Amino acid sequence: METRYAKAVAYFLSNKEPVFFDENLLAGSTTSKPFGAPVYQELTGMTIWPELDTISTRGKNPLILSREDAGELNFDIFPYWMERNILEYTRKKFNNPDCMRLFERIVFFLASKAGTLSHTVPDYKKVLSKGVEGIIEEARTGEEEIREKGVNTPGDRHSLAFYQAVQTVMNGVLNYAGNLSKKAAELARVEKDPSRRENLLKMSEICARVPAKPARTFREAVNSLWICQVAVHAENINMAISPGRLDQVLYKYYRYDIDNGILTVKEALELVGCLWLKLNDNTNLVPETSEELFGGAGTVPAVTVGGVDENGEDAVNDLTYVMLRVTELLKLRDPSLNARYHYEKNTEEYRDRVAEVIVNTRAVPAFHNDIVDIKVLENQGTSTEHARDYAVIGCVELASAGRSYDASSSIIFNLVSTLELALYNGKRPATGDEQIGPKTGDPAGFTSFDEFREAFESQLKWLMGEAIKLNEYFGRVHQEILPTPLLSAFFEGPIKKGKDLIHGGATYNSSGATHIGFADTVDSLSAIEKAVFIDRKCTFAELLQALRENFEGHEKLHAYLVYKTPKYGTNDPIAVKNSQNLIRFLYNFYQGHTNYRGGKYRPGYWTMTNHAGQGKLSGALPNGRKAYKVFASGITPVSQAAGDLSACLKAVGGIDGLCIPSGEALNLKYPSVKNNGDIKTFAQAVESYFRYGGLHVQFNIMSYEDLIDAKNNPEKYPELLVRVSGYSAYFKDLNEAMKDEIITRTAYDLGTGKAVPFPEEYRSMLAFE
Amino acid sequence: MFEKILNWLLLRPLRAKRLKKRFLQCLESEAAEEFLEMLLKFMSLAFFVDRDFRRNIKDFNGRYLFRSRDNSITVAVVFKDNRMKVCEKELKDTDVTVVFRNGRALMGYLLSPKPDILGSLLRQDVTFNGNLNYVYKFAYMAKRLQLMATGEV
Repeated sequence: METRYAKAVAYFLSNKEPVFFDENLLAGSTTSKPFGAPVYQELTGMTIWPELDTISTRGKNPLILSREDAGELNFDIFPYWMERNILEYTRKKFNNPDCMRLFERIVFFLASKAGTLSHTVPDYKKVLSKGVEGIIEEARTGEEEIREKGVNTPGDRHSLAFYQAVQTVMNGVLNYAGNLSKKAAELARVEKDPSRRENLLKMSEICARVPAKPARTFREAVNSLWICQVAVHAENINMAISPGRLDQVLYKYYRYDIDNGILTVKEALELVGCLWLKLNDNTNLVPETSEELFGGAGTVPAVTVGGVDENGEDAVNDLTYVMLRVTELLKLRDPSLNARYHYEKNTEEYRDRVAEVIVNTRAVPAFHNDIVDIKVLENQGTSTEHARDYAVIGCVELASAGRSYDASSSIIFNLVSTLELALYNGKRPATGDEQIGPKTGDPAGFTSFDEFREAFESQLKWLMGEAIKLNEYFGRVHQEILPTPLLSAFFEGPIKKGKDLIHGGATYNSSGATHIGFADTVDSLSAIEKAVFIDRKCTFAELLQALRENFEGHEKLHAYLVYKTPKYGTNDPIAVKNSQNLIRFLYNFYQGHTNYRGGKYRPGYWTMTNHAGQGKLSGALPNGRKAYKVFASGITPVSQAAGDLSACLKAVGGIDGLCIPSGEALNLKYPSVKNNGDIKTFAQAVESYFRYGGLHVQFNIMSYEDLIDAKNNPEKYPELLVRVSGYSAYFKDLNEAMKDEIITRTAYDLGTGKAVPFPEEYRSMLAFE
Repeated sequence: MFEKILNWLLLRPLRAKRLKKRFLQCLESEAAEEFLEMLLKFMSLAFFVDRDFRRNIKDFNGRYLFRSRDNSITVAVVFKDNRMKVCEKELKDTDVTVVFRNGRALMGYLLSPKPDILGSLLRQDVTFNGNLNYVYKFAYMAKRLQLMATGEV
């Protein structure tokens, strides 16, 4: 299968149209359009079939599809894949298992494994230093060694096929670069504009050399990296394939060129700007339903800067500042820029500059805590040197760059669904009277909070087990029919082991499971404990009745639940206990499971837009959240529940980061940061949070009023960039629920550290109203 | 030519025209109880009279069962030998079974330009068991038919 798939990818790359659209200094494009959506019919692309005639005019994020292309998809491409795409192959192979049917209900968990290998950080350093020809040579040596030893075992046969596949697919990359070179030369010959002609000739020259051979200059390195990123997307879906620590990967070339007068800082800024624009040249192809529920996301290719190097020393360099400046100037949705900050090694100047860029863009980059992040990876068995060289995947997940295959978005798990299953004895309002989970008892008969907690944990164990089972099925099918020789070639480990990434070829392996509705679940647990079992304000039966009736006629109880029960994000000991217990429980459960590649499952807490969509599908909750209202995002406290910034940072930072190996997203909002003094205060607050132990924090520098105005008058804010829950989006592209969620997030006054009151006239937007 | 003559002899173009009108009326009606019946009749005839549309079922084999949640409607649709056959009976070994709350719900799922997705999910208007790609293909054909009926393609 390796050989066959490699031939297919190589064929695609060899025949991929070399196109040049504009004045960009980099050659190569993800699709044949300036901005396009690859189809990936073998994975999830078939979902667009019903919309082939209407996708160009649909209300939410339309994509232009020509009649010819639609016809080709309808008559030729999709029919071939009807029985062959990953989802249906898995269904058939495992006899339409219950776990798959749960997944298809949408309201329990999502299994992104259908999106195959994505959410990872390739080793571009390797291709820049060795060139694709060097990688081919490595694979050839591997093949020869196997042949010399004798192909005696199935493992030998697999390795042999893998080495051949790598060579085949790498030749596809060379052909694509060669075609780009030829096309650029052709265009240069007829180009009248001297500056554009010169650029085309330069691109032709560059593509004739890289990525085939090692890069020599900064421009060669940047273009080589971009062509490899395009190639990776020919094989793997465009979801969070993250270029990694670019200020480290590219610095050698930058320094050499600057020192030797080959490059100026201005030219470096332009080249990095061109790369940022290129990283925005593609989007995900999803049906309108997905746009409606979860839309607005880009492809989230995360770029990481700053932090420490492999020796634990300050890694911030001039190129870090170049990348920050480009981000500040362009204010683009992608790449998702992540600034690592080591408060013992990095300078305050760097910390404050990152804060300043956030203030100027109002949203990016995100801050990551080097000290805790490195410990988290060490705790997962990553060597210290490799842990220090971590990069961010997609939203907030951590990977030792180019060594660790983490598939960090394998499972997106709705925690509230298990809370509801526990509340309704294995049923959920969203799925009616159907018995979904195990019967854990009618909570009306429970006599202690521990009884309810046990029921909740039973539901959790059952549903997480189903999610893991499905991920394992998908993984096995990927191993069988969709290997990834191209991505494997850009990783540390597979060529040495003679094993594809999907078979465990990377140096480190894991699968990620992220969780939706963490804060609402914690607050609901605390509300049950306090209201039913401590204060005895109501019986469990009365609480259930109030939930079923969405608190109508139960206003007194509702007010008590909203205002008098413990809230995560405060220093209330019940909330602290319940948040920490839940984090620990999930960590222990996942770490007890080994995936099909031999790695552990890792929990995380980032939600993209899923907390809005899933919230719209869930009933009322014991914390006072009304039915069909959004959940809080990531690991962020429920909007308006944590009134004191310092307490909030302490509570979230106090959660044991070692139990969050797949990353967390804390979303904070300040109405404004006015001057340098404010920026300093802002940066100091980040440092305090990191000293408490927080892993990640991201910001929106916007007031409630700004955001409400942007919702009401989208034409006034065409490029308003916001942080969602781990990534950036244009506010206008988000669905209504997601807009409301961002609007209602607690805004803190930087001066007082207190929550700014939410505008009275818009209180109906709040989840508990 | 023979096909054209046969179509005219069997008054298929005329029947298609009438059905198109009834199909459009059904789409505009509140209840849309007859939606599935109208859709399948119109689709079946469209495969005869419209060569381009017929291309959708060239060499396509698919076995569908549509059933209302209250079991009052059970319709089997089989695509085989470049033909579409419809009968009101149970069907075994289907590629996909579609269970719908009522005609309007099914119509909303297949055709509505602005479907109430959240509401549809919450009400579980339409559920499936089997290969979803067959649903996608059918939904494409239904949508295409609607656009043909309204003159948009």
